[in-house]
Amino acid sequence: MLSFALIAAILAIFPFAAAQPFDLQAALAGAQAGDTIVVPAGNYAGPLVIDTPVTLIGAPGERPVIDAGGQGRVITINAPDVTIRGFDIRGSGASLDREDSGITSLAARTTVEDNHLEDVLFGIYLQNAPDSIVRGNTVVGKPLEMGVRGDGLRLWYSAGSLVEGNRVHDSRDMIVWYSPDSVIRGNTVERSRYGLHFMVNENVLIEENILRDNSVGIYLMYGDGYTVRNNLLFNNRGQSGYGLGIKDVDNAVVEGNYFVANRVGIYNDHSPLAPGATTRTEDNLFAYNDIALWMLPLVEHNTIAGNVFQENGEQVALAGEGVLHNNSWSEAGRGNYWSDYAGYDANGDAVGDVPYVAQSLYEDLLAKNPELRLFQLSPATDAIDLAARAFPLFQPRPKMADEHPLMAPPALPTVPGLAPPPLAANLAVAAGMLLLAGLLLVLGTRRSWRNGI
Amino acid sequence: MSSLSIIWTLAQKELRDALRNRWFVLYTVAFAALALAFSYLSLAGAGIAGFAGFGRTAASLINLVLLIIPLMALTIGAQSISSELERGTMSYLLAQPIGRVEVFLGKYLGLALSLLASLALGFGISGVVMVLSGSGAADPSAYITLVALAYLLSLAMLSVGFLISALTRKASVSVGIGLFLWLGFVFLGDLGMMGTSMAMKMPIGSLFAMSLTNPSQVFKMAAILNINATLDILGPAGVYAVHHYGQSLLAIFLATLALWAVVPAALAYARFANRGDL
Amino acid sequence: MIQFAHLTKQFGKFTAVDDLSFDVSPQAALALWGPNGAGKTTAIKCLLGLLKYSGHILVDTLDAKKQGKMVRRMLGYVPQELAFYADMSALDTALFYARLKSTSPQRAAEVLDQVGLAEHGDKPVGALSGGMKQRLALGLALLADPPILVLDEPTSNLDAAARDHFLHLLSDVKRAGKTVVFTSHRLEEIEALADNVLVMDQGRMLMTCAPGELPRRLGLRTQVKLRLPDGQLDSALTVLQAGGFTVSRNGVGVLVDVLASEKARPINALHDADIEVMDFEVQ
Repeated sequence: MLSFALIAAILAIFPFAAAQPFDLQAALAGAQAGDTIVVPAGNYAGPLVIDTPVTLIGAPGERPVIDAGGQGRVITINAPDVTIRGFDIRGSGASLDREDSGITSLAARTTVEDNHLEDVLFGIYLQNAPDSIVRGNTVVGKPLEMGVRGDGLRLWYSAGSLVEGNRVHDSRDMIVWYSPDSVIRGNTVERSRYGLHFMVNENVLIEENILRDNSVGIYLMYGDGYTVRNNLLFNNRGQSGYGLGIKDVDNAVVEGNYFVANRVGIYNDHSPLAPGATTRTEDNLFAYNDIALWMLPLVEHNTIAGNVFQENGEQVALAGEGVLHNNSWSEAGRGNYWSDYAGYDANGDAVGDVPYVAQSLYEDLLAKNPELRLFQLSPATDAIDLAARAFPLFQPRPKMADEHPLMAPPALPTVPGLAPPPLAANLAVAAGMLLLAGLLLVLGTRRSWRNGI
Repeated sequence: MSSLSIIWTLAQKELRDALRNRWFVLYTVAFAALALAFSYLSLAGAGIAGFAGFGRTAASLINLVLLIIPLMALTIGAQSISSELERGTMSYLLAQPIGRVEVFLGKYLGLALSLLASLALGFGISGVVMVLSGSGAADPSAYITLVALAYLLSLAMLSVGFLISALTRKASVSVGIGLFLWLGFVFLGDLGMMGTSMAMKMPIGSLFAMSLTNPSQVFKMAAILNINATLDILGPAGVYAVHHYGQSLLAIFLATLALWAVVPAALAYARFANRGDL
Repeated sequence: MIQFAHLTKQFGKFTAVDDLSFDVSPQAALALWGPNGAGKTTAIKCLLGLLKYSGHILVDTLDAKKQGKMVRRMLGYVPQELAFYADMSALDTALFYARLKSTSPQRAAEVLDQVGLAEHGDKPVGALSGGMKQRLALGLALLADPPILVLDEPTSNLDAAARDHFLHLLSDVKRAGKTVVFTSHRLEEIEALADNVLVMDQGRMLMTCAPGELPRRLGLRTQVKLRLPDGQLDSALTVLQAGGFTVSRNGVGVLVDVLASEKARPINALHDADIEVMDFEVQ
């Protein structure tokens, strides 16, 4: 942090700063490489263009405002090693073509920290800005239709960047293009389109993020060596809503995540792609999703072990006809926990003695006729499965089999971000219903009947 | 005023009879026990992720409502008029200084309140289980809305039951027809639509429109829309419906259910009021 | 008080009541008499608004078709087939109908007392005897103290003792000034209660008359069995045949065919001929 001595030194450089309205543009124009400019509270007009490696700091606790008044970019960084910290940044233009943004950096080693960006089309845009740090910012998108919103955060050819502890909501995507060796950690993205979208990256670490109420939590498209660890993916829904989508990605490791109440927990579209590559899905929780794991029929070389499949509408689904060959549903004699496993464990080794088999005529029909999903939850669908069990002639081929299903759910690491529902209000609702039932019961009894005699 | 007190007297008697009707009690106990079991089972292992399980428990409850509530409402509705005609108590009742509209409304109100008691008991118990396992709704009004929708479905089925009852003279016949219609609403209708859709390669718009003819389906879609705010769980046709009808979708569902509740009841009343053979 | 004008009721092609017209004066008791299927019950159901009909029924000045509810407010009805809710207690049943008739709950207890059921109030109706049920029905009919009582075969399901008890209650009610309309095919009931008899057959009114005239007017006949001392059978047969009776031998006595209103005539004839009648029995 800044020492008082340093502030005193800075004030000495700009002797009029304290007395007269601070002229930010002039201060920038006159700054030398390596200078630190502390900006006092106030409303400063953008656009701001930074061509010198400086540190621009909103005076602690004062949160000066930089406002471009709805035109173009608010801040453009053209020099490397620039730091922007502690500002309220707002009022970018709304042109997707010009990529109007709160902050656009076109140089390496940019640090964007503790800023609040609002009413901006794009939030923070690192364009050819490798080794940058984006930390602790809040980005709120413009209240536009999803299709004409910008990205809350965009990395473009910015390898080795760290994106940490940011909060993005009501934006479009948080998207990372061509930025290998980046770390995305502890961010929260809510009510956006793609929480985190990765295009063509290598060795990216994605951990401890919270992706909630988006269309898609995390989407990995193309690339190699993603690690997705200990994230919470909650209630990501929509026409093609997934907790995590993996398309044409090699060697992804998905571990210790919570996939809860999404339309689809993980959607696997041809990952891995390269011969010899794998996808590892281990020690995750899939709970209360409509579909826990949705895979294209030709997906292979996946290892899926140690996961908990808890009460999903469909535990494993195929997008189309076929069966899931060449995938491992267990590792070293240890499979997954399936809440609908109906087998037993006679030898007491905590592993079920008969395989868990995903086999349902209705689900098979769904794979061929996705529109029949309209009848989900209808007792008629249960009747179809019942009939198939009674007449094995109609029993479809099993989609997959876990040879070593776990009898009890293994302990899983905790992830951030799951808040318990309001206890008192829910209890009041339930108690109110019981009270109503009781009241009606009393009305129908003899005592009230004789009322008045 | 006295008309209202007569309706209330008759309603209270229906309520009393329902509580002594062994089928009604059986369905209620079954519903409450299964609601309890479903909410407990879908939250088993709640140590891991008990919270956030509301959507899944609600889905189980929707499934349960679809199975049992139409059965309960159709059965008691089907017995309502015909069993009293058969026993001869109806003509004695109508020989009293009361109008047929009061008898009809009193019976309907009483049975509607019995159904409300049944639903409140089942949903109340499962609600307590959910709360105790830490997985209630994030927004408590979602649960209330779910119950309200289930109740609307039960009223629709009750009205259909009343219509059957008004058109027959023997309780055994009307209950038989009621059970057949239950099969239709719960199983055969959906199976038929699934078959038709597959055989004719129906466009999803038509499939969705066709599904609106089944009040059970409409309840289900409305309930899912209430909980998830989308119908993506229902696949392409659900997504189409949300996309195509947008904000008016819930209104369409509610209006359809309301029509199912009002029209058969009105027809049943028309038949009952003009019955000249008591 | 009550006017039937050209009442006609058809069930399909079957005409149950055919152009029936009659009046009932206030505080009078009218019996509808006739065999089963004569249309008595149908006429009463029309009055109660349970059936649709053509013609008119007026009660006071009210049209039973258009103002059925107000008409029924003036009627107390005792049906032929008692149809109560078997699992409800007598008192609860009375309370239920008291509420439907917008009368006070106290009245329910009062009428139970009046018909002698006060001690049985807590019994389910299904557990009451036929006589008790019939009395309960009368009690219910009296709940709102209506000016008119309508009874359909009120004693048909009762044994002799219960019938006497019930007729006694009805006489009290009639004395209290109610207008009574009832159907019956029992002569003694009609003689005990009715001021007038309306005779029906196949839906039509045949005639009206005073109850005492009924047997003669109808030519109703019955058979009297007389037990006579040994050795006087033949002379008795001769006497009776000479008196114009149709007689046949029957064990130790004779069987005589008589008008229902002249059952004592053969006994008197034998008495005049000094033949002692030891015993007699009406068939």
